[in-house]
Amino acid sequence: MRDIETKSRKSELLIILTIVIASVPMILAFSLLVLSSFSEEMVTNLKSFRPTLENWINLFQGKMAITGSIRVNIFEITLNTLIVALGVAGLVTIVSTLAGYALSRMDFRGRKHVMIALLVLHAFPGVALIVGVYLLYKLTLPQDPDLMRFYSFFYVILARGALEIPMSVWLMKGFFDAIPWEFEWSGIIDGASRITVWRKIMLPLVKPGILAVALFAFIAGWQDIIYVRTFLIDQTLATFIESNIESEFSHMPLIAAAGTLYLLPTIVFFLIAQRILLQGYSGGLKG
Amino acid sequence: MVRIRLENITKEFGDFKALDGIDLEIEEGEFMALLGPSGSGKSTLLYIIAGIYKPTKGRIYFDDGDVTDLPPKDRNVGLVFQNWALYPHMSVFENITFPLELRKVAKGEIRRKVAEVTEMLKIENLLDRYPWQLSGGQQQRVAIARALVKEPDVLLLDEPLSNLDALLRIEVRAELKRLQKKLGITAVYVTHDQAEALAMADRIAVIKDGRLLQVGTPEEIYERPRHKFVGGFIGNPPMNFLNGFADRGILRIGKSTIPLPKEYESVRGEVIVGFRPHDVEIGEGIEGEVYSVEHLGREQIVTVSVEGEMVKVIVPGDRRFEFGDKVRLKPKKIVLFDKKTETAI
Ligand SMILES: Nc1ncnc2c1ncn2[C@@H]1O[C@H](COP(=O)(O)OP(=O)(O)O)[C@@H](O)[C@H]1O
Ligand SMILES: [Mg+2]
Repeated sequence: MRDIETKSRKSELLIILTIVIASVPMILAFSLLVLSSFSEEMVTNLKSFRPTLENWINLFQGKMAITGSIRVNIFEITLNTLIVALGVAGLVTIVSTLAGYALSRMDFRGRKHVMIALLVLHAFPGVALIVGVYLLYKLTLPQDPDLMRFYSFFYVILARGALEIPMSVWLMKGFFDAIPWEFEWSGIIDGASRITVWRKIMLPLVKPGILAVALFAFIAGWQDIIYVRTFLIDQTLATFIESNIESEFSHMPLIAAAGTLYLLPTIVFFLIAQRILLQGYSGGLKG
Repeated sequence: MVRIRLENITKEFGDFKALDGIDLEIEEGEFMALLGPSGSGKSTLLYIIAGIYKPTKGRIYFDDGDVTDLPPKDRNVGLVFQNWALYPHMSVFENITFPLELRKVAKGEIRRKVAEVTEMLKIENLLDRYPWQLSGGQQQRVAIARALVKEPDVLLLDEPLSNLDALLRIEVRAELKRLQKKLGITAVYVTHDQAEALAMADRIAVIKDGRLLQVGTPEEIYERPRHKFVGGFIGNPPMNFLNGFADRGILRIGKSTIPLPKEYESVRGEVIVGFRPHDVEIGEGIEGEVYSVEHLGREQIVTVSVEGEMVKVIVPGDRRFEFGDKVRLKPKKIVLFDKKTETAI
């Protein structure tokens, strides 16, 4: 007998073929970007690829593409990006794991309303909210310059995280929903408190969900440009690349190198996420 | 080991009454089966004994102590869930020791108890495995080990065998009963399989639609069902029922009549007569026509159509019957049920 999950050969081939064709433009674009970062000029055909490491050296020496001589600290920029991304990831993960559990497992007043509100909130694009969010920023921004810098990080993480939270909470609720009540009851009968059950039984079981939420939030923070440019005093990779593109004198291969650096975690994380999400807990519940 | 007493237990989920006024006593060391069709409220009752659900009305006593408001962990019960609920991220050892770790039992003590319980259940060589690496039968043993390791006063089992294949189920049920008697533990066993209940239980409580229909030993439940439903639910094939009219010691079924036993002499009016397929002789009595014949080796099940209703009869395998044969059935043991209430008269 054939396993349920194995599709017939023919339809499988068709699906793979479709996927391959659909991804050709994207793969081509990414390849050209990466190739260009190792080339003296932008790669548009085979002849224009003249290999060099110069772009990467310039990038790590902090040379801006516009003038080719002004130095910025690329490590600091990367660190800034990392702080924002990790901050968003941490915030979103903690909030959505707690809220997801509560929405999935606890019966409290207004639970339905919270769930509807989450969906509605998710429907709002971040750009639409930015005026209000900016007003709040203006009102709360401290005067002291050092504090101001610190606060701008805090604020951008909070604001950008808030955009991710509704969907992440939904996602986590779904993961908790998928765990049979029996696991929780069993833990309680064994003598555990609700908190202990959450920590020792539920959390390990939703680990794939937590990782997925964390990865998506990290990438959202890493890639964000609108919120970062509006609120953050320091630069991140996104705003750095943007400020380079603005000039017509830009040395494009250098920007290609910065772009590649900017894309790297996204690619790496999606590879990891894919493995984790597919893995899950196979055969976890019954024989 | 405790005696459990349930007093007028009622459980409502919103508008829906899952349990309705259950009164039940379970003796110390007794093996009590809760038997009923799916959705009858068996699990709900079990969870109420465990403390997972709070009854809407009624009290629960362990011995003489009222435990109605005690949380599950203070009731010292072991529960084996229908899906076993083994923690997938923990090894067998960690699963079994989880209740002990929570009680902060000393390491040496833990090892001793685990050795004892795993040896008893013959799973001592599986300790390093994970639940998904075990067969159904092994998972079930681990779940029982986890329930027993904390030496509970009461062992609660929710259809623990329903996920096993038929042969294994018969093997395990004998073993489980032996284990329960050896430990002398009070056990409540939920099942929808009447054969399982008959084979294992000291007493059976039959539940339907949240109501307790009858409590009794397997013999009592089998021989003297107090409700038409109990007769029709227990036995394989179950009890036969025919509509009839009783008058002065005579029961009329369609064109035929049969005499009623002494205890039913005073019954008069419309009744339902019930009799077991084993308790029928073919000879004088109720007129019918052979509808089908199934051979089971030593015996055969003959389905007879009586006034358009089907009656199953088990007779020795050496007699030959053909479709359409006219036969007369003589029930040796009958139970009369009230036509309206369907309770035994
Ligand atoms: N948590 C619940 N909320 C609402 N209805 C429930 C809940 N648990 C059980 N029920 C209902 O109560 C009835 C009895 O359920 P259950 O005790 O699980 O039956 P059984 O174990 O006999 O199959 C069913 O109709 C079921 O739908
Ligand atoms: Mg059930």
